Amino acid sequence: MKSIIQTINLTKKFGDFVANNNISLDIKEGEIRCIVGENGAGKSTLMNMLYGLVAPSSGKILIRGEEVKMTNPLTAIGVGIGMVHQHFKLVSSLTVYENILLGVEIKKKNSPLIDKKEEIKKVAKMIEDNHLQLNPTDKIEDISIGERQRVEILKMLYRNVDILILDEPTAVLTPKEVDDLIATLKLLKEQGKTIIVITHKLREVMELADSITVLKHGNVVGDVLKQDTDEKEIARMMVGRDVCLTVQNDRKHTVEKQVVYQVDNLNVLNDDGKKVINNVSFKVNKGEIFGIAGVEGNGQSELIKVLTGLMEAESGNVILYGKNVTNRWPKELRKEGIGIIPEDRYATGLCREMSVSDNCIAGYHDNKEILKYGLYNSKKIDEIRDKYIDEFDIRLGDKNGVIGNLSGGNAQKVIIARELASKPKILMACQPTRGVDIGSIEFIHNEIIKFRDQGNTVILVSSELSEIMSLSDRVIVMYKGQITGEISPTEVSTVEIGLLMAGIKGENKHEK
Amino acid sequence: MRNNNETLKHIINSLIPVILAFALGAIIILFTGNNPLYAYWILLKKSLFTSKGFLDTLHYASPLILTGLAIAVTFKANVYNMGVEGQMLLGGFFAGLVGSSISVGNPFIEKFICIIVAIICGMAFAMIPAILKVKCNVNEMVVTLMLNYGVVKVLEFLTTGVFKDKSAGYVATPTINDIAMFSRFGKSRITAFFVIVIIVLIVMYFIMKKTKLGYEITAIGKNPEFAEACGMNVGKKIMVIMLLSGALSGMAGAGWMLSDQFKYTLSFSGNPGLGWDGMLVALLGGHTPIGILVASIFYAALKTGSDSINMYTSVPKEIVALIQGIMILFLAVKFLKEKK
Repeated sequence: MKSIIQTINLTKKFGDFVANNNISLDIKEGEIRCIVGENGAGKSTLMNMLYGLVAPSSGKILIRGEEVKMTNPLTAIGVGIGMVHQHFKLVSSLTVYENILLGVEIKKKNSPLIDKKEEIKKVAKMIEDNHLQLNPTDKIEDISIGERQRVEILKMLYRNVDILILDEPTAVLTPKEVDDLIATLKLLKEQGKTIIVITHKLREVMELADSITVLKHGNVVGDVLKQDTDEKEIARMMVGRDVCLTVQNDRKHTVEKQVVYQVDNLNVLNDDGKKVINNVSFKVNKGEIFGIAGVEGNGQSELIKVLTGLMEAESGNVILYGKNVTNRWPKELRKEGIGIIPEDRYATGLCREMSVSDNCIAGYHDNKEILKYGLYNSKKIDEIRDKYIDEFDIRLGDKNGVIGNLSGGNAQKVIIARELASKPKILMACQPTRGVDIGSIEFIHNEIIKFRDQGNTVILVSSELSEIMSLSDRVIVMYKGQITGEISPTEVSTVEIGLLMAGIKGENKHEK
Repeated sequence: MRNNNETLKHIINSLIPVILAFALGAIIILFTGNNPLYAYWILLKKSLFTSKGFLDTLHYASPLILTGLAIAVTFKANVYNMGVEGQMLLGGFFAGLVGSSISVGNPFIEKFICIIVAIICGMAFAMIPAILKVKCNVNEMVVTLMLNYGVVKVLEFLTTGVFKDKSAGYVATPTINDIAMFSRFGKSRITAFFVIVIIVLIVMYFIMKKTKLGYEITAIGKNPEFAEACGMNVGKKIMVIMLLSGALSGMAGAGWMLSDQFKYTLSFSGNPGLGWDGMLVALLGGHTPIGILVASIFYAALKTGSDSINMYTSVPKEIVALIQGIMILFLAVKFLKEKK
C-alpha cells in the first residue's frame, strides 16, 4: 500500500514545553489508523498540525509523497484532509442539508438563488450511499449528538476529502451510537478513504484500527499493527512509564476505621442528559488518601464537581461526618471543613486577571480576620499572601502583579496554600499536579502526605496513574461513570490497574 | 491593584481618542476660517480657568459622575445596564412631582424625601431587567435599552396630560417648591448637590476597592465560573449590582431636578441625555471612580465652554457636539494593547 500521509521529525513547542517531539508517522492509503495516548500526550496537537490549525516548529508533512505547507484548514481540505472535531462546528438553527452545503451552495442556473430541491436531492443521495440514518431537512438543534456527528462527516465527504481525521469521536456518544459510527467508518474505508481516529478507548481501538500509534509525552512510544498486539500491550504502552516519580510515602500511620465521608448511590446527568455517574458509592476513612483513578472522561471530573458543589447530583447522598451535604454550595462545603483543589486551575481555582492577594482570599473572602466592619484590611491580606509565599516557596516576579503571570506550579501552590490554611478535615485534590513542573510536583505530593499524616483525609483524583499509585492508601477505578474495582496500590501492578481503567475487569486479577 | 505600567497604558488609551477628536475638530474649524487654537483656548479658558466657569463645569459634571458610576458598576461585573438614562429620567420625574406636591417645611427633609423617592424609582425600574436576567436568562442589554424608549413615552404622556402644569405656557410639570431646590453658591450654578455627589463618589471608591461587594463585582466580571466556585451566588449578586446602578441613576435624576431643572420638561435630560453621556464618561474614565471624576469634569467643560465659543468666535457651538461624536468613535479603538 502507498503512503498517504508522512510526517518527518514533526516537532511542536509551546515556549519551553514540547508538545510533539520528532514525530515520524507513516499512514497508508485506505487504512484506519488509531492514535492513542493519555491526555496531554500530544495527540490533538499532532492532528491540528496535519489540519493546518497549528504551525509546526520544525519538521515536514508529506501528502502522497509531496511536501505540503499547511497554513490553514483550507489547504488541508485542498489536499483532501478533513477533520471532525470533538466539539461540532454546526449551525444549530439550520437544517442538515444547509449545514452540509454551507459555503458551497448549489445555485439555480443563471441566478443567484439557491436551488433547494437540488441540494436536498444531493444530500439525500449521499446519505443513502453511505447507509446513514439522517433526514436532510431536520434542523440540527432537533437531532441527537450521534446524528450531528454524521452531519460533520458528510460535510467533509461532500468536500471530496479522502483522509478523515476524527478527534475523540466516541467521547460524547452512547454505546449504540458508537457501534453505528464504527460501522460507518468501516464502510468509508471500503470506499477507499483513509481514516485517522484519536481516542483513548482501547476497546474501540481494537474493533476499528488496522494499525495503532501510541503517543506519550509528545513522543511516539509504539507503532504496531492490530494483529500483532492486544489491548493489554497497548494499555501498558499508554500508562507504563519510564520515569517513575518516587514519593516518600511510608504507610506506617494507621488508618482509623472511622468513616468520615460517604457517597451513596450517586447518579449524575450532564447537560445533554447523558448519565455520567452511575450509582457510585464509596466510603472514606479518617486518615487515608483515597485515590480515584481512571482514564479521563469516565466521570471523575463530574464526580469531583458534584462533591465540591459545582454540579448537581440527580439522586444519591453525600455524607460528611454523619451530616448530609449533598448538592451544597462550595461556600458551605468549605465551612464544613472541606478544602478544594479544583481540576481546572484557571477556571474555578484562580482568577488569572486578579492580583495574587485577591486570589489568596478567594473562597474565604468573608473571613472575619480580613473583613472588618464591611471593609477589607489590605495590610492583613498582604500579610497572608506573604505568609503563603514564604511557607509554600511560591516563586513570583511581582508580588503585586496578577496571578496569570505565575507558572502553573506556583499558581497551584497558591491554591494549596489557601485551601490548607483554613485547616480543613478533608482535602479534595483533583489533578493536583497537572501541568506542574517536577520540583513543584514533589512539593505538592509531600504536602498532601503531610496533611494526611496529621490525621486528615484526602480524596485524590488524578489521571496520572503513578501519582495515584504512589500516594494513595486505597484506590477505586472508574470506567464509564461506574466503579470497576477497588484495589490496594501496594499489592497491584500498574498494568493491572491500567486494565481496570480500560474497563476490562481483569480475568487474571490476583485474588487477595 | 494593577501595576503602574498598565495604568499608564490605560490613561494613554483614554487620551489618544480625545487628542484625535480635537485634531479632527481643528481641521473643521480651519475650514470655517477660524483659528482652531484660539477657539480651543476660549473653550478651555472659559470652562476651566475662570472661577465661575469652573464651578459651572463642576455643576454640569455632578449628574454625569453619578450616571458614569451607575454604568461602571455594572460594566465592571460584565453586566450591561444600558437603561441608566431611563432610570435617571424616572427618578428625576418623581423627584420633581414629590418636590412640587408635598411640603414638610424642613429644607433638608424635603430634599431627602425627593432623593429617596428618586432612588426607589431608579431601583424599581432596574429591578425589571435584573429579575428577567437572573430568573429567565433574558439578555439585560436588550431589556434595559428598550425600556429607555418606553419610559420616555410614558413620561411624555404624564407630562402632557395628568401632571401638566396648567399655568405654564409650555409642556412641563409644576415647578418644585423653593425649599426643595438646592440653592446656588454665589454667582455660579454650583449647589450643595455637587458635595453630595463627591461623597457618593468616595463611598463608591471604597465599595469598589475595599468591600466584599467590590471584590465580588471584580470576580464576577473577570471570571464568573471562578466566582461561583468561590461560593458567590452570582445571580443574587447581579441583582444587587443592578439595584445599586438603578439607585445611582435615580439619584442623578433627582439631583438634576433639584439643582438645575426644577420641573420636568421634555428636554429634561438634554441631548444625547445624561445617561448616555454617563456611558461615555465611564468609558473614558476606564470604569474607575477617579477616572470617572476626571472624565466628567472634562466632558462638562466642553458643555460649558461651547457657549463661550459661540460668543467669542464665529465658530458654531455645534463643533463641540462634533468633537464629542468623533471621540466616541475613537474610543471604540484600543490603541495600546492592555493586558486583559
